Amino acid sequence: MKTESCSADKGSQPYANPYLAGVLLGLVLLASFVILGAGLGASGGIARIGASVSMCVSATHTLGSEYFGKWGANPLNYYLVFMFVGTFIGALFSALLAKRVCLQVERGAALPVSRRLAYALAGGVIAGFASRLAQGCTSGQALSGGVLLLSGSLVFLVCLFASGYATAWFVRRQWHD
Amino acid sequence: MINTLYSLDTLGSPMAFFLALLIGLGFGFALERAGFSSSRRLAGIFYFTDMAVLKVMFTALITAMLGLSYLLAFGWIRLDQVFLMPTIYGAQIVGGLLFGVGFVMGAWCPGTAVAGLAAGRIDALVFLLGAVGGSILFNELFPLIRPLYMAGDQGVQMAYTALGLSRNVFVLVFTVVAVVAFWVSEWAEKARTGCAPYLGSPFLKAFSLALVTLAAGLFVLAPAVIEIPGKSADTAAAAAVDEKALMEKMERAQDHIEPEELANRLMAGEPNLVVVDVRPAAEYNAFHIRSAINVPLARLTEVLQPHKNKGLIILYSNGMTHPAQARDSLQRQGFGNVYLLTDGLQGFRDRCLKPVSLRSEPLTEPDAARVNAWRAFFAASPVPANPSVAIASINAAVPRVVETDWLADRLGTPGLKIIDLRPQPEYNAGHIPDSLSLNVDSLRGNIRGVPSMLLPPSMLAAQFSLLGLHPSDAVILVYGDKLHDATLAGMAFERLGHMNCAVLNGGYAKWALEGRSANAALPACAESTYQVKYDADDFTVDFQTVAATLGKAGAVIIDVRPADFYAGKKSNEARAGHIPGAINRPYTEDVLTNSSLIVSFKPTAVLAEVYRRILPAPDAEIVVYCRTGHQASQAYFVLKHLLGYAHVRWYDAGWTEWAARQELPVVNDTQSRVPVK
Repeated sequence: MKTESCSADKGSQPYANPYLAGVLLGLVLLASFVILGAGLGASGGIARIGASVSMCVSATHTLGSEYFGKWGANPLNYYLVFMFVGTFIGALFSALLAKRVCLQVERGAALPVSRRLAYALAGGVIAGFASRLAQGCTSGQALSGGVLLLSGSLVFLVCLFASGYATAWFVRRQWHD
Repeated sequence: MINTLYSLDTLGSPMAFFLALLIGLGFGFALERAGFSSSRRLAGIFYFTDMAVLKVMFTALITAMLGLSYLLAFGWIRLDQVFLMPTIYGAQIVGGLLFGVGFVMGAWCPGTAVAGLAAGRIDALVFLLGAVGGSILFNELFPLIRPLYMAGDQGVQMAYTALGLSRNVFVLVFTVVAVVAFWVSEWAEKARTGCAPYLGSPFLKAFSLALVTLAAGLFVLAPAVIEIPGKSADTAAAAAVDEKALMEKMERAQDHIEPEELANRLMAGEPNLVVVDVRPAAEYNAFHIRSAINVPLARLTEVLQPHKNKGLIILYSNGMTHPAQARDSLQRQGFGNVYLLTDGLQGFRDRCLKPVSLRSEPLTEPDAARVNAWRAFFAASPVPANPSVAIASINAAVPRVVETDWLADRLGTPGLKIIDLRPQPEYNAGHIPDSLSLNVDSLRGNIRGVPSMLLPPSMLAAQFSLLGLHPSDAVILVYGDKLHDATLAGMAFERLGHMNCAVLNGGYAKWALEGRSANAALPACAESTYQVKYDADDFTVDFQTVAATLGKAGAVIIDVRPADFYAGKKSNEARAGHIPGAINRPYTEDVLTNSSLIVSFKPTAVLAEVYRRILPAPDAEIVVYCRTGHQASQAYFVLKHLLGYAHVRWYDAGWTEWAARQELPVVNDTQSRVPVK
């Protein structure tokens, strides 16, 4: 299968200086600590969506379950769900500004779309599961907890990259053109 | 001083949702600017082709860390105003290792996938759907995963404390490591792709220098100012100087506080001074330093969490060993404000409370006056309310059982919530002013076929929200003629980790008999958002756990039902008798009912003596049960909170379930069974 060409890509602007983007991200995170008293988070919102899907399938089962049950009958009523929505809008705004919005499946040219999507799905399931186990993902645990210098968050950060590098070789074909 | 929404407990408010949305806008914008809406770019870090992830993430981390460090150093924010996640090594190591695999395979992480979705990446959408599925999978498998989820729980642990470094040293080392990583990344990109615009650029040099300078600058600032809430801004600086001088003085005395110093501070009504008696409850009840709270060693961290690095925490016991061990443990958990009372309670008695006439050496006139003032202050029992002291003590922990005098002195104190558990007609006819009516049966329901089970945390929290309760409230439970109504409601609070909750000894009957204020008005009550922060219930056990306890050395099962039911002479359940090996101690034996039908706890010293004879050791594993869990809640309260037994568990489902499960063994003392109608 061929990589679909993306006309928007041609006019898109280059990415920002990563260090300045990092400073911006750091200041947003600092604002989150100062205003909310909690860091940034993404997987929390996703898990809440998972809980509400589960509620739609079976409310009694969900409310009786040990993990989702404690989130109550309306799991979307949570600040991280709103942060999740905000993240989408903020990113959309930036992408539109830089003309980077473009419907595509990103992958190496040599890889069929279905394979890339299968990898993305499996990766999502694993990451979704792991971020519940570790009580946070790259944003909520590694970055936010790292800023607070919490032992567990820094250990999570180190383990994340260690296993990432250990696995990378096996899935390298995703990006071969 | 900034008040975060977390510290105000309003993260569940519409305002918080709106602010989280705004912060999310900034988060998404920054991620997309950085190019994190491209999975190829994200994956680049693992192949050394594009190190943007490292550069952005570490820059963000260092920026926020330095920013926060400066805010802390200036005293504009305190670390306890921020939600600090617990360190759970097992969960975070395994979680991190798994997450890395998911990250490389999907080439997204949850936050960046949202940015990718916004930029039209279909693989990001698929990743997000997978992550929703992974969360659901986690919930379904949670009963199996629970041991791992809690494996190696250290509570809140700072990396620098764990490594024995000062915060500033750790921050500087971390910053230098990050800067080195930036240069190595640039170099790796150059080697791999031949293109690295920032390598050796004036920008990167200046940026590196700026970060290291800011980190080093933290050493120049004065050590963190200790903020005393309640004092106005202009006196705060002067107070901070006093406070610092005191700290230095204590530092020289190895973190001790002298009895005279403590006595003076308590008499001055100093706010945010928490005195903790770590002796067994019976000894505490016999005598304690005025305003001291009694906390068993096992619960110190939990109870003192709100006072972490706020004001002073003074620990005492009879001697010095236990408090010193507790202080060391608290220090390791990041408490920097814990002090020991020199020579413990004995020292306090000898040096402050011993009458002038009994002292071997003569005292000067002023010293004698000082001793007499201390004696007058500390020997006077129940002291009339000084409103400011009362408010301070509501924010601290209340004892687990309070007397009517205690409550009468504190009526109307903000943060004090009285819950009346009597049936509605009696409540409607008259109650303690501002008390809220609650029927304990509304806290129970059918859970997976077993009737009369305490409801799950979310449902309890929903009811507490309707009652307008907040997790920081001091709750006083008032019963009618059933003391165990109060202890059952206490179980509900304990399930939510709400430990600042006490039983009014004697209940409403004693209050009314003493002619204290009462009215029939409904209290003003605004609905709150009582959030379940974590499931604090580590005390409810199911039948499997109880079955596993059978015959275990050092474990005791206590059946608190009346003796006839225990013996099986009477039964209104599926089978008669009791759990094999269980001993019988009817719950009615732990309370006194006087001629005016006032039910109250037996004196703690009496209870302590009785249970010392019944139970093998203070650290025995104890399971209490009755028919539905109601009466057993009272035994649980007595053992755990009055007598300080550490390992008390509550078999809520009780005889109802055990008797109905035919596969479980039953002991029946008699063949003749008299059914109860």
